[in-house]
Amino acid sequence: MSDLLQLVWSGLALGAVYGLVALGFVAIFSVREIVNLAQGEYASLAGLSAISAVAAGVPLLFAVVVVVPFVVAVSVAVERVAVRPVRHMTPLVSIILTLGISTALKAAMLLFWGPEAKALPAFPGKDFVFAGVSVRSQELWILGVAAVVSYAVVAFYEHTTAGKALRACAEQPIAARLLGISPRTATMVAFAIAGFTGAVAGVVGSPIYLSSWSSGLTLGLKGFVAATLGGLVSFRVAMLGGLLLGVLESLAAGYGATGYRDAVAFVVLLLVLLVRPQGLALKATGVRV
Amino acid sequence: MTRNVRSATTVVAIIAVALAAAGCAESAGSGGATSSGSASGDIKIGAVLDITGAGASLGVPERQALEMLAAQVNSGGGVNGRKINLLIEDDQSTEAGAAKAASKLLSTDNVDLLLGASRTGPSLAMRPLAEAAKKPMISLAANQKIVEGSKWVFKTAQNDRVVIERLVGDMKANGYKNIAIARDASGFGEGIPEMLTEVGKDAGIKVVKVEKFAPDATDFTAQMVNIRAAKPDATLIWGIPPAASLAQVAYKQLGIKAPVYQSHGIGNQVFLDAAGASANGLRAALGKMLVADQLAGNDPQKPVVAKFISDYKAKYGQNPSTFAGHAYDGFTIAIASLKKAGTDPNKLRDALESTSSSPGVSGVFTMTPTDHSGLTKEALVMVTVENGKWKVLDGPK
Amino acid sequence: MERLRGFLPLLVLAVVLAIAPMVLPVNLVNMGVYALIYGLAAIGLSLLMGLAGQVSLGHAAFFAVGAYTQAILVTKTQVPGMLAAVLAVAASMLVALVVGLPLLRLRGHFLALATLGLGIIVAVVARELEVTGGTSGIFGIPKPSFLGRIYDSPQEYFWLLAPFVVIGLWLAQRLVHSRTGRALGAVNDSEVAAECLGVNTYALRVRVFVLAAGYAGLAGVFYAHWLAVVSPEAAGFELSVTLLLMVVLGGLGTVWGAVIGAVAVEALDEGMRSFIPKLIPGASGEVQLLGFGIVLVLLVVLLPGGLAQLWARVTRRRGIAAATAAVSRAEHDGNDAAMEYSGLQALSRLLAQADVTESGSPLLSIRGLTMRYGGVTALGDIDLDVRAGEILALIGPNGAGKTTAFNIITGVLQPTAGTVTLRGKQVQGRRPHVIATLGATRTFQNLQVFGSTTVLGNVKVARHLRSRSGIFRGMLGLAGREEREIEDWARTAVAALGLTEHADRPVTDLAFGQQRKVEVARALALAPALLLLDEPMAGLSGTERDSLAWLLRRVRSAGISVLLVEHDVDAVMALADRVAVLDDGRLIALGEPEDVRANPAVIAAYLGTDADDDALVRAAAARTVPA
Repeated sequence: MSDLLQLVWSGLALGAVYGLVALGFVAIFSVREIVNLAQGEYASLAGLSAISAVAAGVPLLFAVVVVVPFVVAVSVAVERVAVRPVRHMTPLVSIILTLGISTALKAAMLLFWGPEAKALPAFPGKDFVFAGVSVRSQELWILGVAAVVSYAVVAFYEHTTAGKALRACAEQPIAARLLGISPRTATMVAFAIAGFTGAVAGVVGSPIYLSSWSSGLTLGLKGFVAATLGGLVSFRVAMLGGLLLGVLESLAAGYGATGYRDAVAFVVLLLVLLVRPQGLALKATGVRV
Repeated sequence: MTRNVRSATTVVAIIAVALAAAGCAESAGSGGATSSGSASGDIKIGAVLDITGAGASLGVPERQALEMLAAQVNSGGGVNGRKINLLIEDDQSTEAGAAKAASKLLSTDNVDLLLGASRTGPSLAMRPLAEAAKKPMISLAANQKIVEGSKWVFKTAQNDRVVIERLVGDMKANGYKNIAIARDASGFGEGIPEMLTEVGKDAGIKVVKVEKFAPDATDFTAQMVNIRAAKPDATLIWGIPPAASLAQVAYKQLGIKAPVYQSHGIGNQVFLDAAGASANGLRAALGKMLVADQLAGNDPQKPVVAKFISDYKAKYGQNPSTFAGHAYDGFTIAIASLKKAGTDPNKLRDALESTSSSPGVSGVFTMTPTDHSGLTKEALVMVTVENGKWKVLDGPK
Repeated sequence: MERLRGFLPLLVLAVVLAIAPMVLPVNLVNMGVYALIYGLAAIGLSLLMGLAGQVSLGHAAFFAVGAYTQAILVTKTQVPGMLAAVLAVAASMLVALVVGLPLLRLRGHFLALATLGLGIIVAVVARELEVTGGTSGIFGIPKPSFLGRIYDSPQEYFWLLAPFVVIGLWLAQRLVHSRTGRALGAVNDSEVAAECLGVNTYALRVRVFVLAAGYAGLAGVFYAHWLAVVSPEAAGFELSVTLLLMVVLGGLGTVWGAVIGAVAVEALDEGMRSFIPKLIPGASGEVQLLGFGIVLVLLVVLLPGGLAQLWARVTRRRGIAAATAAVSRAEHDGNDAAMEYSGLQALSRLLAQADVTESGSPLLSIRGLTMRYGGVTALGDIDLDVRAGEILALIGPNGAGKTTAFNIITGVLQPTAGTVTLRGKQVQGRRPHVIATLGATRTFQNLQVFGSTTVLGNVKVARHLRSRSGIFRGMLGLAGREEREIEDWARTAVAALGLTEHADRPVTDLAFGQQRKVEVARALALAPALLLLDEPMAGLSGTERDSLAWLLRRVRSAGISVLLVEHDVDAVMALADRVAVLDDGRLIALGEPEDVRANPAVIAAYLGTDADDDALVRAAAARTVPA
């Protein structure tokens, strides 16, 4: 039994990181129909930057607090430089564009930080054992931060005027503009939020899961899978989806073959896309063609 | 008619421009084709290393060692007056990358000798290419499959079998019978459980659980939970950093009390840094370099190892790892053989095979036509980690 | 004559590829080998992405299936190399079929990400299975021997690859200009319009997907032999991205772009590997990714059409439009059968081929048609018949449900309840192309012309159901006679609508009213028994409306039925044989125009008052009674 609990617990921690990344996907997609394939890179960038800061002597928590706005700024810069100039954004175009951004970011991280995976020092706290389950303090941090950030993001989008304005942009861009809501600002804010959640995922997960120039790919993809469970528009389901995905992976590795754990996410993705396509379309009008 | 001619011309023009651009970039690097087995001019040594990717903790120190040594040889006048031209390629820790790099070094650059790769999988991928090209190759990796039955391929890292023999000796001495294994899923870890079963049979050693992990894995909960449930007397983790260190951390994290054995893939500071306090108390069979200061005064390896450490430290500001040592051995054995036989492939290979009682960093090498590895278990010492430092447990048995 | 012109660039390419290994230094030839291998895979991807408009982020999966199959067969069995290659390509195509059938129901982002997931699953499976050699993969694959010669040097391998690339390109090019290519282009421009013209878009997309996988599988075979090793990263995401970059860089709409893009990307790769370490000392590894990433972003922002767009910009300055027109006119020069019809002759000829039923018999029957969206009932229990040889108009105030009904009849929407029977067969819930095969097609309120082609090109798509050649015949160019027939009928339809002088112009160059006419010409070219028109008068001037009305009467007298949705009540009253009125999802009147016009319920619906407001209604009714 404690084995099962252990697997579930570590799955939840990993899943919370997926969930944070997933929030970033939803943040952008719910404002403009862009799937940001560079989302995972925000996490790696945050992790690596924090590690450098700490190595340079900056206290850990201070480094974490400083790195997050940095990555937010990078995300906003990306939007400004690469997304805004594109005149005709189709799904194909947005995928290629964000793929290019992701690749460029990865390469920049490789050049700057080298190829090795590095770990941020763990946040303050003690590890302990509870009901036969070994609990790392970092895992508690991950879950706690994920809960707070999810709540904050949901509250912003659903209970503040600014957040509701952002959602309006996605559904009726022209009407929104007539009401004085600028789609440009909306996109920028969305990218900023995505940068925020990605950065948080990166710093909070780095002590356990390590950061490297290439760690963003699988993290981003799994975050995307979690986001699709919520139709790319629901923050709540994205976070819950992330948690669920983490647990499923952990159980699959524990009780099945460990090698296939990466495939779990994508099998889930394919199943969701194929079995419930209506639930994933933004407009569920039954139009098939 | 004209439109199609125009489009065709543009196609040609674009291709030509692209090729020219690449050509300009390329020509700075390797030159054009030269005939093989040249009796004069620079000696070309190609090295395929895991500089990026999962094996970076091996490839980077290996590259540093090779560059340092090549510079040393060249400043001393080269080999019989001929300078060494060292061509280093990154295989990105993949088999395909290694094949691509080896192919390029062999057929485009026409190297006289090939070094590499850093790990087993890529080395196995390179082997058929070296044999087809009939050029000597010295691998820096562990698995003895790399050289088994080969005419042209040699290796300088201790055979995994020899390492296992040493570990079995230690397990027997401590009375550990039921062993759990967590092994790297790549070529490095392939066959290890079977080997342990075979070597340990007489000592009554049984493998009670086998778990695999990907070389780039970060979460080991599943594997360690299953190992814990198997209640072994001791656990063998067979991998390289970062996976080996993370596995060590996860193992201790779950409060498993049984002692841990590690492979000879952990012989560098990167492992200790990543594993931190959880590394204390592990047992491993490693080359003597990491505990050079604790060697006996009459050990023939001591002067060799000490000089290497001091040269490396002077140039790079840190102690070398065992992998840098494997590279050192590959290079020095190659240089010694080149001095004796020149660059004719057959003569060079014969010279390599006749290496005898040559003290290196990884051990004392004696190659024969049937043994292209040249090391026995005397090359290893049992080592543990105490307070984050390597410490010799006992002398070679 | 025309075929020879198509051959010329290929001939030039063949010559270039033949000479290259002899004049270039070995390292460039080596690079060229990789360019050709990946270029072969990129051709297939280009067909998929450019022609069919479907993004695949996991194309390396099929590359890997081909490579692994070849590797396993050649190293572990006694199967001879060439047979193994055929089996390897077949394996890739089979996997694509199995995977494509469910996957290609998706579109846009979701399809792209599903293909990404597929690629990763294949990579993981390849890494885990014993038979594929686990993480290390399969090695020791021998170099191929063919006709007594072993191809182990870069030059020889280059020469071995070249014919396959040239032929692959030729076949792909032929496909683009064939009936299948035309249909795919139409799907890319407007999937709904293509469906309504009878193109089975799903089946078509699956076929192209499988074909693209075949190209990738063949490339994989060459890869396996060249590298001598196949490991899981042959299915990796990085390779899929590289292939994507090649296609995008070369130009998405062109198959030539794939080959050019492949050369450019390999050159970029090599160049960056040499260049970046000089710029940033100590940099190593996959530094070329930086270049790839920046190039992708720049492409999207500045040059979305890739190098092909650059080429087009250069040639446009030389008045390519005129040249195109001259060339296309010259292209059917030798075609004696295509006479220039006068408008009326053309119209008669066009209408005569329609497969009509006995006048007066019910062609289309709707019973109990209901459409509910959550709590809202858009259509409630509609019963309606359209008889052969009549014009039936469907009118009603905004929000009455006319377009909904229309969309259900034409197969674009699935009703909540009720039946639609066309020529005795129930078609509700069936896809639009099925309805097209039964002889019914439509035009669209918001124009759905195929923007990437000419007026003639638009109309040709409508002949899809009256022609047969598929991918195979298309690629081999065996459909000459059929193509001439299609051209002939298309020109007839264009002439019938008086658009002959615009036939070879890009359809997007035309005025709105003319584009409407193109849609009508297109619909008529299908030779339907039932023509469905969605607000055809919208946006037309007075004379244009009259001209359209005249046309529709001619259509009716040929025995073809017309069902039209319209807002222009006067025009409708003059034109229609019967009128059906919808209000709030219910059928409130059905009958001859005069009766319907005087119907109080109809008047109330339009004026928005209650039927009890007698004074107003009576006054209105009084006004409509002819003096």
